[in-house]
Amino acid sequence: MVANALQPIVRMAATADRTKPIVVPDYCKGCGRCIDACEHHCIEPGRDIDPATGLVPVRIHLEHCTACGLCFDACPEPYGLRPAFFDAEGSERPRVARHDLAGTPTPEPIPDAVAALPPGQPLVIKGVYASAVGAILAGCRHFFGYPITPSTEGAELMARLLPHLDGQFVQAVSEVAAINMMYGAGAAGVRATTFTSSPGFSLMLEGLSYMVGATVPGVVVNVMRGGPGLGNIAPGQSDIKLACRGLGHGDTHAIVLAPSTPQEMLDLTMLAFDLSFKYRNPVIVLADGYVAQMTGRVTLPRTMVRPGVPAWAVAGDEAHRRNLITSIYLSETELEARNERLFAKYARITDAEPRADLFQCDDAELLIVACNTPARMAKGAVRTLRAQGVKAGLFRPLTLWPFPICALAPVLSRARRVVVVEASDGQLEDEMRLAISRADLATPSITSVNRYGGVLPSHDEIVSRVIGVARPHALGATA
Amino acid sequence: MSAFYERFDRHDGGEGVKGRSTHYCPGCGHGLAHKYLAEAVESLGVQNRTVAISPVGCAVFLYYYIDAGNVQAAHGRASAVALGQKLARPDSIVVSYQGDGDLASIGLAEILQAAQLGIPITVIFVNNAIYGMTGGQMAPTTLMGQRTATSPEGRGRLMGEPLRMAELIAQLDGPVYVERVALYDNKQRVKARRAITKGIRLQVENRGFAFVEVLSECPLHLGLTPADAERWIKEKMLPVFPLGVKKDVSASRDVWPAWKAPNMDPAAVHAVVGGATDRVPRFCTRFPRELWGPVDDDIALKLAGAGGDGAQTAAMIVARAAINEGFDATHIPSYGPESRGGTSYADVRIAEDEVLSPAAPRPNILLAFNAPSLAKFEPLVADGGIAIYDSTVVPDPPRPADAIHRVPVAATAIAQELGRVTVKNTVALGALAAATRLFPAETFLTAIRQALGDKPALLELNERAFRLGAASVCGR
Repeated sequence: MVANALQPIVRMAATADRTKPIVVPDYCKGCGRCIDACEHHCIEPGRDIDPATGLVPVRIHLEHCTACGLCFDACPEPYGLRPAFFDAEGSERPRVARHDLAGTPTPEPIPDAVAALPPGQPLVIKGVYASAVGAILAGCRHFFGYPITPSTEGAELMARLLPHLDGQFVQAVSEVAAINMMYGAGAAGVRATTFTSSPGFSLMLEGLSYMVGATVPGVVVNVMRGGPGLGNIAPGQSDIKLACRGLGHGDTHAIVLAPSTPQEMLDLTMLAFDLSFKYRNPVIVLADGYVAQMTGRVTLPRTMVRPGVPAWAVAGDEAHRRNLITSIYLSETELEARNERLFAKYARITDAEPRADLFQCDDAELLIVACNTPARMAKGAVRTLRAQGVKAGLFRPLTLWPFPICALAPVLSRARRVVVVEASDGQLEDEMRLAISRADLATPSITSVNRYGGVLPSHDEIVSRVIGVARPHALGATA
Repeated sequence: MSAFYERFDRHDGGEGVKGRSTHYCPGCGHGLAHKYLAEAVESLGVQNRTVAISPVGCAVFLYYYIDAGNVQAAHGRASAVALGQKLARPDSIVVSYQGDGDLASIGLAEILQAAQLGIPITVIFVNNAIYGMTGGQMAPTTLMGQRTATSPEGRGRLMGEPLRMAELIAQLDGPVYVERVALYDNKQRVKARRAITKGIRLQVENRGFAFVEVLSECPLHLGLTPADAERWIKEKMLPVFPLGVKKDVSASRDVWPAWKAPNMDPAAVHAVVGGATDRVPRFCTRFPRELWGPVDDDIALKLAGAGGDGAQTAAMIVARAAINEGFDATHIPSYGPESRGGTSYADVRIAEDEVLSPAAPRPNILLAFNAPSLAKFEPLVADGGIAIYDSTVVPDPPRPADAIHRVPVAATAIAQELGRVTVKNTVALGALAAATRLFPAETFLTAIRQALGDKPALLELNERAFRLGAASVCGR
């Protein structure tokens, strides 16, 4: 009997850190994989329903157990079968050091730093290049994109430049893949960007919705072209609705910045990164084919950004190990609460971030509203109209969402008429009308100067239409 | 020991039973794949560096269980998300955990790209021949004849043959290691555990992309007991999805080069983006408002020719010259297919302070390299404007209708004499400079030197071309 009594002890010693199993009934689903796994038939199907789960856990008889451990390897449940050094509740007795969640340090955010750039001459580069340079100066070293005219040269420049800065350029298999690579990089807390054009932007919308839902930052530069469908590759503005109202499924919003010049392509791309990380939300730089392809004077800023590491990032280190990036909120109340937090963020953005550029609006009786390249034509038209005695002004939203209604409201009260100039079927006008309506302002008399299909409204068109609106009698419109 | 959370707080708040048990059905293979993943991460000592990408499918809640960095991806995009994560933080150990609908159907493009890129990530592909999460529909790996919710009479020819992903991935150049394993008995489970550990170890060693396909039981949707589901895998799936190592070049493949931290040095950045600190000399005394023809605040040029004539480069040099002189200028090309061989034209606008409309529908200056360009755009030239054209290519153009100045320049002939026909645009620029007196010659030459910054060997040739072009129209 002495020998028998000693046997298990000898076995325990021989099997080093192995031990015999115990079943934790609440955590055993009774699948029986361990029954087949045990070569000594120590485990059998259970008979008693576990009150906590309604399932029938297995039963173990350890008389013949050799502590081979095969049952552990067969159990699909992490805590269903436990080595005997766990107590009956399944709690681990101190044995081997573990990286417990409780012991994980709370990450401290590493803030962004600003570094001075050498002073220099202006660059003479095209708009998409300026946007790429802006991204680099904002600390973006990760580009994921798919070639599409008229945005491609931006990707080409990133492909040329990023290797010199130990950055990463990936030509993705599609725009769908590109936006999801951005999601991955953004989740890791790095500044990533992509350049695309209208059809490609459509493909990115699912990913953008996930970014909004999971609060992942990233900058998408969409160079709008003529649509719908393939349309053409000439400049357009008909993604305003998509960017401002239809950013994928769900109640999504993202700041939408509308550059008019190559200089603004740089400035607003840099701003986009800051806003994107400030609010943990994607930001859209909504350009048109003209401003993207146009070469012009681009003065570099005095400083560039050295990005830090946000506390929320899944950065692949101990400090950030507890972080999770997800847009899943299974319970309705949780998702509703979470969406309310999103909406509160949108409200903060709506308060703090609207931007507009006003040209000769102070005494304007006739207000032209335009963005992107058409705003340049409109500005020229304002000059011409002023020379002809028409008190015209240009209101140019730099943020299409949030629409800068606070800046528009005071000038709107003076202006008798508004002329919206755009290369779409009233998408900018709709944003403005919605903003006016939401602000409970009286809707002014609105005239549209629209061109489509890759055609931008010209200076002369704007002038003649405005003259027609401002001085209908002068044109003999008396009938 | 493993990298499972001590308590599954994300599983419905971790209350009660859910704090220690998974959401999987009894006998589901996912739990085993999770377990081997969790144990491998722990045994390789990389728990802090690990980032698990949760897919859409039954494993959508992987992040409930694995105590590591967690990112949940859209359906099919886990491997794209994994790539982004890995490139962003190359020290992290990124595991893309995907099911058969996610990886082999909606995410085919993403997995093929990730595999072929070969960047060290680890993909665990759980193949259970069914869509579990959505309720038992046909998967790309569903067997022929297998009844599912969307193949109620059994998978037929119109639904396609099952996809063998391990074999597909193994034939790509990128991966270093591809193996298919199963879970139905002790022996297979030992192999599965080893394969998953190896797949992660190869990433830890920075060796490359690893893909482990796990044939996994879904007793619920197969309508089988867990034990019968194990048998079904062995008897039905194995003939279609043979187990084993499909590719292993991990011993012979060089490790990836060490990943460098992105360069954020301002001097390096400034140089890379083309920032120039040298002051560019100015030669203009004032904006060329009244040198020729009636011009308001703004001068419009159109440069047109066939693709390859160099109209865009010439336009860029004019814009650069104007900006060097402290004026504003824009250049907008016609872009797209026609700029790759057909007609190519460029609009340039120059203003003292700010160019407004960048288009040049009524140019003051036209530079036409061929007859179609001259015929198309000359009628648009503003009154008092100048049309310069390549008289080698267009020796005898019809008389213009409007009161414009015409300036022929034998650009192609002069360029040919110089031995390089591609400098005809520089010859034409010389003619433009001389004929229009837009800016001093030195302004243009400075811009040409800037444009040729990376090709100094061509500098002298271009300067000669410019001067010969200018000389050819002098005295007109």
